[in-house]
Amino acid sequence: MNAENVKSQMRKGILEYCILLLLKKEPAYTSDIIQKLQEAKLIVVEGTLYPLLTRLKNSGLLGYQWVESNQGPPRKYYRLTEEGEAFLGELENAWQDLNNTINHIRNN
Amino acid sequence: MKKTLTVNLGGTVFHIDEDAYQLLEKYLSNLRIHFQKEEGSDEIMNDFEQRISELLNDRIRLGYEVITLEHVEDVIKRMGKPEEIFGDDYTEERKEEFKTKADPQTAAKKRLFRNPDDRIIGGVAGGLSAYLGWDPTAVRIAMLLLMFFYFISIPIYLLLWLIIPVARTATEKLQMRGESVTLENIGKTVTDGFENVSNNVNDYINSGKPRSAVQKIADGFVAVVGFLIKVVGIFFAIILIPPVGFALIILVIVLFAIFIGLIGGSIGLLGGGLGLLYSLFPFADWSSVSAYPETTLIIATITMILAIGIPLFSLAYLLCGKLFKWKPMPTAAKWILLILWFVSVATTIVMGINFGWPIIDNQGWHWNSYHPIRHIRFW
Repeated sequence: MNAENVKSQMRKGILEYCILLLLKKEPAYTSDIIQKLQEAKLIVVEGTLYPLLTRLKNSGLLGYQWVESNQGPPRKYYRLTEEGEAFLGELENAWQDLNNTINHIRNN
Repeated sequence: MKKTLTVNLGGTVFHIDEDAYQLLEKYLSNLRIHFQKEEGSDEIMNDFEQRISELLNDRIRLGYEVITLEHVEDVIKRMGKPEEIFGDDYTEERKEEFKTKADPQTAAKKRLFRNPDDRIIGGVAGGLSAYLGWDPTAVRIAMLLLMFFYFISIPIYLLLWLIIPVARTATEKLQMRGESVTLENIGKTVTDGFENVSNNVNDYINSGKPRSAVQKIADGFVAVVGFLIKVVGIFFAIILIPPVGFALIILVIVLFAIFIGLIGGSIGLLGGGLGLLYSLFPFADWSSVSAYPETTLIIATITMILAIGIPLFSLAYLLCGKLFKWKPMPTAAKWILLILWFVSVATTIVMGINFGWPIIDNQGWHWNSYHPIRHIRFW
């Protein structure tokens, strides 16, 4: 059993949740999302994120528009859809439950 | 000193060293193979390219004029190697790979495919030579000789064309050569441009996604249409591409007509065949034919010469083209020749029957009676 492995599994499990959380606060460019997730040590390499964002977009949780940037070609500007907000609500509940469960186990 | 290439990456133009380009190309190809099965793979790849473009652009802004290997390595480190991006899935895929080929001997097992990248007609010779590891030109010459001496090899070729599948995917192309199917090799194959990983119909059909009933029906439809196109293709290939086979077919037809003439078979064909013989051999008895106006005879002769000459000319042209590296005939010229040939053949047949019919009628065709064949001195 490898501790690193388990930790990376845990991070992976909450990645979608964190992306939705980030975008709930404010719409963001892909590069901003990447930067914030890297700061939080949730992802190591950027490549992980692009398929994930596309998957979330294809299932209707995220939407994006092309926004001109002052440097280089237009970039994707992601935002949360209504569907995404509902989905996020469910995840928040699930996270709360998990938190409670863990606290419960820890404290008893 | 290094050679550089100019690439368009995510809408920005970069000058990039050749080695750096190769690394980047390989990296993107590998990613593309992984995402191929995923919905929206094109979009994901676009995201990747866009981001890489952004990162490289930062270097340019720092004052670098050319993207070097080092820059690309940095970018890949940042974006992640395939095994980092795909994590467990990737290692599982690898395991799967090893499972399916526990024995390295069977790993490199060859399969016979037609080679779409090395083809003149159907890629049969190309596929065979890849399978056998022989020189494709030698195989072609051998096949051509076979076709000259044994007519039966022509239908055999067509049959092989129909039966042997074409190597579509990178995997199949590697199997055709007997190279083991590893991700590195696939990457190499893709990079070498053997496979165009685009979202075309073939790739879609061949992707490993489970398919719904409707899609299966559509696949079946595509397969049937493909088969029909192939049959039509064979027909046109006989006429357009291998004038050899075509000339042989003409020869067989002429021989057949003479044969029929000699044994006094089917009257209709005989009429055509004899008319043909008359125009071919002017020293035969022209009495019944000379009743026709001269222009008709001239036209008949010209169409006859065209009907036989066009295939022969195409054959000669093809051979000269191969020997002296002439430019291939323009498509328009091919079509004109083809149409001209059809017209000539049709005219020849019509005129042959017109000429031939009265002869048979007049002579009251009978083996023992006077017949024009006797006037042609074969011996």
